[in-house]
This record gives sequence, C-alpha cells and structure tokens, in this order.
Amino acid sequence: MKLKKLAAVSLAAMMTLSLAACGGSGDEGGAESGGTAITIFNSKMEIQDQFEEVAEKYTEATGVDVEVYYSSDTVAAHLATKYSSNDPYTLSMVDAKDVYNLAEEHAVDLSDQEWVSQTPYAITINDKVVGFPLCVEARGLIYNADAIEAITGTPFDPAQYQTLDAFKGLLDQLVAGGMESPTGVLKEDWSMAGHYLPQVYEEQADPDAFVTGLTEGTVDLANDPKYNSLMETFETLMDYNYAKDSAISAEREVTSQKLAEGEIAFMFGGNWDWAVLSAYDYSDNMGIMPVPQNTDDGTNTKLVGGGSKYFFIDSSENTTDEQRQAAKDFLNWLVSDPEGNAFLTDDCQLVPAYSNISADNLDPLGTSVKFYADAGNLIPNYNFLPDDHYAVLGAKMQEYLAGQIDRTQFAQDIVDYWKTAQVIPH
Amino acid sequence: MNTNSMSYKSKQYIMFAGITTLVFVAVVIAPFIYGLYLTFTSWDGVSRDKPFVGLANYVATFQDSAFWAALGRTFFYSIIAVILVNVVAFILAYLVTRGVKGQNFFRAGFFIPNLIGGIVLGYVWKFVFNRALVAIGESLSVGALSTSWLSTPNGAMACLIIVAVWQYAGYMMLIYVAGFMSVSNDVLEAAKIDGCTDFQTIVHISVPLMVSSFVQCLFLTITRCFMVYDVNLSLTKGEPFNSSVMAAMHVYNQAFTYKNYGTGQAEALVLFIVCAVVGVLQVYIGKKAEVSA
Repeated sequence: MKLKKLAAVSLAAMMTLSLAACGGSGDEGGAESGGTAITIFNSKMEIQDQFEEVAEKYTEATGVDVEVYYSSDTVAAHLATKYSSNDPYTLSMVDAKDVYNLAEEHAVDLSDQEWVSQTPYAITINDKVVGFPLCVEARGLIYNADAIEAITGTPFDPAQYQTLDAFKGLLDQLVAGGMESPTGVLKEDWSMAGHYLPQVYEEQADPDAFVTGLTEGTVDLANDPKYNSLMETFETLMDYNYAKDSAISAEREVTSQKLAEGEIAFMFGGNWDWAVLSAYDYSDNMGIMPVPQNTDDGTNTKLVGGGSKYFFIDSSENTTDEQRQAAKDFLNWLVSDPEGNAFLTDDCQLVPAYSNISADNLDPLGTSVKFYADAGNLIPNYNFLPDDHYAVLGAKMQEYLAGQIDRTQFAQDIVDYWKTAQVIPH
Repeated sequence: MNTNSMSYKSKQYIMFAGITTLVFVAVVIAPFIYGLYLTFTSWDGVSRDKPFVGLANYVATFQDSAFWAALGRTFFYSIIAVILVNVVAFILAYLVTRGVKGQNFFRAGFFIPNLIGGIVLGYVWKFVFNRALVAIGESLSVGALSTSWLSTPNGAMACLIIVAVWQYAGYMMLIYVAGFMSVSNDVLEAAKIDGCTDFQTIVHISVPLMVSSFVQCLFLTITRCFMVYDVNLSLTKGEPFNSSVMAAMHVYNQAFTYKNYGTGQAEALVLFIVCAVVGVLQVYIGKKAEVSA
C-alpha cells in the first residue's frame, strides 16, 4: 500500500515537472556558445533565409552568437508578447511608426555611432538617434517597359509621362494597340490607405500642418488640390483596371503576375513588390515612376519614400551591456564591413540607406528607387499615422474603388475619421 | 480509513484533480482575472506602466459602433449557420444510418472537412469562390457566378456561412449518428408495427430520444460560430469594406492592430458574456426537453 502511494505521488510529481519543463524551454532559443549571444527580430519575411545564413557566418567570424527570429504576427503584437514575458530581443527590426511608439521606453541611444553621419534616414527622438534604417523603400507607379514598348514600338521613358494627360494618352495608345486594360489596382487596405492615400498628406507643402488641420477639422479636403489630383489619377487607374468590375476581389498575386508577365503595364506599388513579381515569369525591363499628376508642384517628378524597417536596441535590464555592445557592433558591421554590405545589397537586394554603400546589382525596382533616392527625389514618408488609419480608411477606399461612394463622399469619410483620430506623438 | 473525512476528500481531490486544477487556474482563471484588470487600464501592449482609467474602456466599448455592428453580424451569421449546419448534419446522419452501401466511407468522407484547419480551409474556399466559380460562371455565362461572391458584402456573408456548413456538418453528423444508433430497435419496431411512416418514426420516436445529441450539437455549433476567427481571417479578412468583420476579429484588431488593449479586452469580455449567456440558456432549455425511453 505504502509503495503504491509512493509510486503514485512520484508519478504525479514527474508529470508536473515535465509540464514545467515544457513551459520553460519554449523561448530560450539557441545554445549559448560561451561568448555573448544576441537575438534579432526580423520583420521582413522575404529576407529571413538570407538573414539566418548571414547570422551563422557572423557567428563563425566573431564568436558572437546571433539568432534571428521571424514572426508572421503584426510587429507591435509580437513585440508586446515578448515585452510582457520579459524576454525582449536584443535587436528588433520594426516599422518607423513602431520606433516612435517604442523608443522612449525601450530603445538605446545610438547618437554616438559612426553610421549616423552616413545616412539621412535615421530616426531621432528627443535629440537621440534611436532607429537604425535598414534600407530605402519608395512608392510609385510600377511599369513593365517591355509590355509598353511591344505596343508603342519606341523606348519607354517615364519622364515623358509625368502629367496625367500624357499618361492617359499612353494608356489609350496601349488600348488601341491591343492591351485591353493596361492597369491593375491592389485592393489591399494597406496598399490603398497605407500607401496611396497617405500621399495626399505627404505631398503637401507641410504634411504635419496639414494633418494637424485635419485633426482640428479646418481642412476642406473635398476641394484640396492635392487630394483631387491624386484621386483623379486613381480614378484613371480604376478606369483602365483589368479587373474593373471585380476590383475588390482582385488578388494581389494575380495582379502581380499579370504585370510581371506584361499582360498589364502599370500598377501602383513599391520596390517591396519585387518579392512577389519575381515569383513569376517576369520581365527585367521594369521600374518605378512617379505617380502621374496634372500638377506643377514637382511632386510628379518624385517617388514617395525613405528609410524603411528600423532596428532599435533594447534598453531594459533583460539585456546586458555586453549584448548591447554586440548589437551595436553588428549594426556597424552591416554598414562598414564589405560582407555586411554584400548581405544588404546582394543577398537581400535592399536599396542601401547609407552613402558609403554602393549597390550595382539591385533588382529593377530597387534600381529605380536608388536612382530617385540618389538624385534627392524622394518625398519623405509620413510615419505618424494612427494604427487604425489603414484599416478604417482602407475599407472606405475599397468602397470608393468599388464605385459605391464618390470622391466627395470619400473625402467626407476621411474628414470624419480624423475627427477622433490622433497622430503618433513625435 | 474514514472515507468521509475532510482530509481524505481533499487528498483524493488533490490526487486526481490537483494538476488539472493547477493548469486550469494557470491558463484560464489567472489570465481571465488579469484580463479583467487590463480592462481598467489604457495599456498599449508594450508600455511598462498601465495607467488606470476606471470604466473608460467600457464607455468606449459601448460607443464603438463598429463593435456592435460586428456583434450583430455575428448573431446573424450564427443563427443562419447553426440552423443550416444542424439541418444538414441531421439529414446526413439519417442517410448514413440507413444501411446504404459504403456508408462508412460516406461517414469518413463527410467528416474529413473537419480535419482541415480553419486557415487552410479558408484559403481553399477563397480559391473556389474567387477563381473556380468565376471561371465556371464565365465559361457558361452564368451572371450570378461571373463575379466573385466575395466582392459584395452579402456574398461574403453567404460564403462564410457556406464554408461553416461544409466545415461543421460532418462533425455534427457523427454526433447525430451516435444519437440514431442509441435509439433502441425495440421502440423503432414497435412504432413500425403500430403503422408509423418513416417520417413519423423520426419525428415522434427518434428525435425525442436523441435530444441530448441536439443539445450537444447546438452547444458546439453556437459557441464555435460565435467565436469564429480563423475562417473569417483567411476567407474574407473582413473584406469587402470591413463588412464581414466578426466580433472576434474586431476584438483582435482593436487590441493588437489598433493597439487599444484595454478597449479590446473590454469588448472581449462583452463577447464572453454574450456567448456564456447564449450557451448556458441553450443547454438549460435543451436539458428540459430531454426524455428517457
């Protein structure tokens, strides 16, 4: 009897222990190989494989153990879990707006780092540099020059189609030449209200003042020239859309495939779209051009974009000073070591955000972005939109795309949204 | 040994249910209470301090028209889906207990959709609705099929319901099959001798004797429909125009995408209370209707 009891108790104890063991080992991650170990959160899914490889190389070369993690969750949600379990990453790659949300409490001051002077894109909060830009990304109209030239017979020069009138002329020429519907529109809310609509703010003379005006209700958006000029162009894209009657169920993959293979010639997007475009039988002769507009303020000669994906280093007591130093070294290695540079520009095909890094082998869209960036023709991103901006107004813009509301109503919806919305403090 | 003493009883309890209780407290009760606490703060998810804001989140919940719209939509979806799932499941169960040739094969076949995860299932059906049906509609020039159903609000809702029926009918069918099997042959034969038609036998003999199956099935389908998230995410993602955002998805967005943890948590609590009330009410009514042979 005694023996049985003992056996039962020890069995129960073992079960509890094994449960506890399960709970504990989940997040520990890689083996700590003697030296310092740092963890990196990568939020750019398409470079995860390359990142893991380079981490291995880096570990071999320096002895610092680097583990790279990726999560398909939204950046903020994933980091929230890590922070509430007191297990933050040493280095986290986040979007610009996340830096403004997180930096004050969680980021280390990087002002004294060497790379600061080599980039115009670093994020500075309260006079402290906290965000390390990974690359440059920009938005504009993606074109497939092969598809256009096949019909027009002359080399395609985007500079000739900066005005909407000229652009429409080209579209009509394409239609007449047999391309029934030369454009595609991504209906995803992040593309519509995260990338296209913000141009209305970004292309103002003073974006901050304009958005403040929206929150205070002093902006007459329906009669705003920028809003109307951009929406005029958007309506043109809608008119020539291959999926005109089912615009809101057009899938990104299908639209991208049509563009890559030359069935359509234009789609609004950014150089990140190359990850999708290159999955198909793509044409090399592609690029990004400014969104055509009937305007003379110069915005139709520039792409919209800037630094994208920012690293910050955790400042909490969960990270040791050695780890912080190792993380700083890693960032410096990316910028100043040829191997680090090669990782950015060759392996990941990222447009460098640093003046000392050259990049000659970028993908076609990256080449375009670099061309505009080097010439100083980038209109900066407005990184302070509220978190629900793209979702709430994305839904409205989809209604606009589906023809359920008109331009004036859409303007009214935007104005209504801003009555309660607040920008990220910066 | 005195098997009635307090110490014996508590020892027995710890022995048999101790670990389960511990785990239950750790993964259900504790997070629930912590969540309750979060509804009184304006935490953004990452910040170190959690400012106390009293009932502000509940006020925000009641003012959040999108949440109530989503909840209303969920009610509508659940009512239609629950009825259809159970009707289809019952008919299937009836058919596969008639002794049809290969009925085990059919049972397995109908059950399989339930083995596919909600996310995968959503993508599969998205393909069907967006491409397969559209291709068929275009080649046969059927107007109703030539544009994707997912592109209109009503169509998207219909798609969600169709997928729910396809997903759950097989599972519920199994429970109804068990119900049919549990009705003893004696009463069925007696009914036959007394001159019942097949239909009368079902309505007056089988159904009353398998009320417990109905209670189980209804409970399972109601709770699952109310909490639907995975299919919602992968099939429609709330589109078009956020018109197919169900309550659970709205709560997730509120908390994690818009970073209003407190409000999201308060809305989750409202959703929980609604589900609990509906579930308990339904089981209570169902139990009353049970009869024994």
